[in-house]
Amino acid sequence: MNEQTNEAANEEAANFQKIWMETMSKTMQAAFTFTPGAPAPEVLRQIRSGIFQALADSWEKFMRSPEFLESMKQWMEQAVTFRKTTNDFLGKVRHEAQAPSCDDVDTIMLAVRHMEKRLLDRIEQLSAQVNGSKPARTKGPTRSMKQPLSAKRKARTTTKSPPP
Amino acid sequence: MTNTTAPINFWIQWQEAALKESVAFTRKMTRVPTFWERVQSIRKGVTPSEVVYEEDRLQLLHYPGKGKPRYPTPIVFIYALVNRPYILDLKIGRSVVANFVDRGFDTYLVDWGVPLAADRHLTLDDYINGYMANVMDYVCERTGASQVNVLGYCMGGTMSTMFTALHPRRVKNLILLAAPIDFATKDSLLNVWTRAENFDVDKFVDTFGNCPPEFLQAIFLLLRPVGNLIEKPINFYERMENDQFVEDFITTESWLNDNIPVPGEVYREFVKYLYQKNLLTQNQMPVGKHIVNLKQITCPVLNIMAGADDLVPCSQGMPLTDLVAAKDRKTILLEGSGHIGLAIGGKAQKEVWPQACDWLAQRSH
Repeated sequence: MNEQTNEAANEEAANFQKIWMETMSKTMQAAFTFTPGAPAPEVLRQIRSGIFQALADSWEKFMRSPEFLESMKQWMEQAVTFRKTTNDFLGKVRHEAQAPSCDDVDTIMLAVRHMEKRLLDRIEQLSAQVNGSKPARTKGPTRSMKQPLSAKRKARTTTKSPPP
Repeated sequence: MTNTTAPINFWIQWQEAALKESVAFTRKMTRVPTFWERVQSIRKGVTPSEVVYEEDRLQLLHYPGKGKPRYPTPIVFIYALVNRPYILDLKIGRSVVANFVDRGFDTYLVDWGVPLAADRHLTLDDYINGYMANVMDYVCERTGASQVNVLGYCMGGTMSTMFTALHPRRVKNLILLAAPIDFATKDSLLNVWTRAENFDVDKFVDTFGNCPPEFLQAIFLLLRPVGNLIEKPINFYERMENDQFVEDFITTESWLNDNIPVPGEVYREFVKYLYQKNLLTQNQMPVGKHIVNLKQITCPVLNIMAGADDLVPCSQGMPLTDLVAAKDRKTILLEGSGHIGLAIGGKAQKEVWPQACDWLAQRSH
């Protein structure tokens, strides 16, 4: 187990070293191929962008590594736990104050959506029965509800200000 | 003699350079207070438009253009749910929308609006078979056309693909812009991070409800940490005195920081069914009661991708060409361009959009 870990670590280190060796050699090449006529800042920019490229490559490699993925997972779990605790606490405070909490609103929303879905499914079935034995599919599939959520279709025309 | 003057000259030169640099720094810093004013003056969408249809938080924008449309089939732009859609109409000379409007297309853009906590239960079914289907119906009713052209960008491209597969008779031509289709690839960090073993999307959505915009922003920032946190500020500092550059920078950054929450259930479905199970390419993607079969797409398809896209790499969009049953299909790959550059980049405006307009014009009669 230890050997495997060491091997992986060595491989990581070798990859990291390779990226930087390549960068440094590119940087040196840029510096030595610098001709007196060429503007100096351009060479410096090339060197800088080489270093940034190497940095970016190292980061990319690191962000794909199991260590990073594991720490990201742990961090996410902590964030979720913290949020859950906060939600629970705020929910309790609201309940104590006899006010509805987010959870209560969510429960109502979900109940309304389920009711809406059941109702629209039933309407679809009835519509299919009226139209014949098969559901009408001329326009392709419909959402479980056939009408817009709030049936709020408006042909309102609000002109946005044209550019100066 | 030479030996004694050389160090003195070097010292004088160094002093001069340091003085020049401090003067330049001071000059640059005097411009900082004006930036806030510039941020405030940024307009979200430059082409004149009107809201012609509303449903819940959705608004459908119509771009009247100059004179009557030259083509009978209207085009509807579908943008992603993670950002605001004005990236497609960001600046004069950098607007995808303007390209189509100027060519005489009857152009519409769907603005999904900003979801509230109560919208956490909205699903892909609501968006694709609900809102999108209603918008297409409305556009057909308004224009008298029997079909519409659809252009989908990023996540909006994936949704447009699903819509076209589920409603093949409603779409005349499909244009996809950096649309992720095959999620099996590991080229993007996003694909690695969202794998089931690394990310528990159920726990996340159950706790947070909608996916918070700050979370999305942090993730997008982390995709290129060196570029976003080191190179970008340095480039900005160096070119602070170039008014055009500053304007472009502020406009783009304002849009980039204008993330919006993604409805929780949509986020869950997108991560679970696409990023984790890659169901779309297997023709097993569920949308409500229906299953998306990409072989149902028979209309002409134009697939536009960016060669240096770190969010949606080519390997994620390219497979679509072989997955659809369309005979008329074309791919445009813009080398060296990134995800946003594909829409607002100068190269894209010169090379891609005139080509895309030509392609659509030939197929819109």
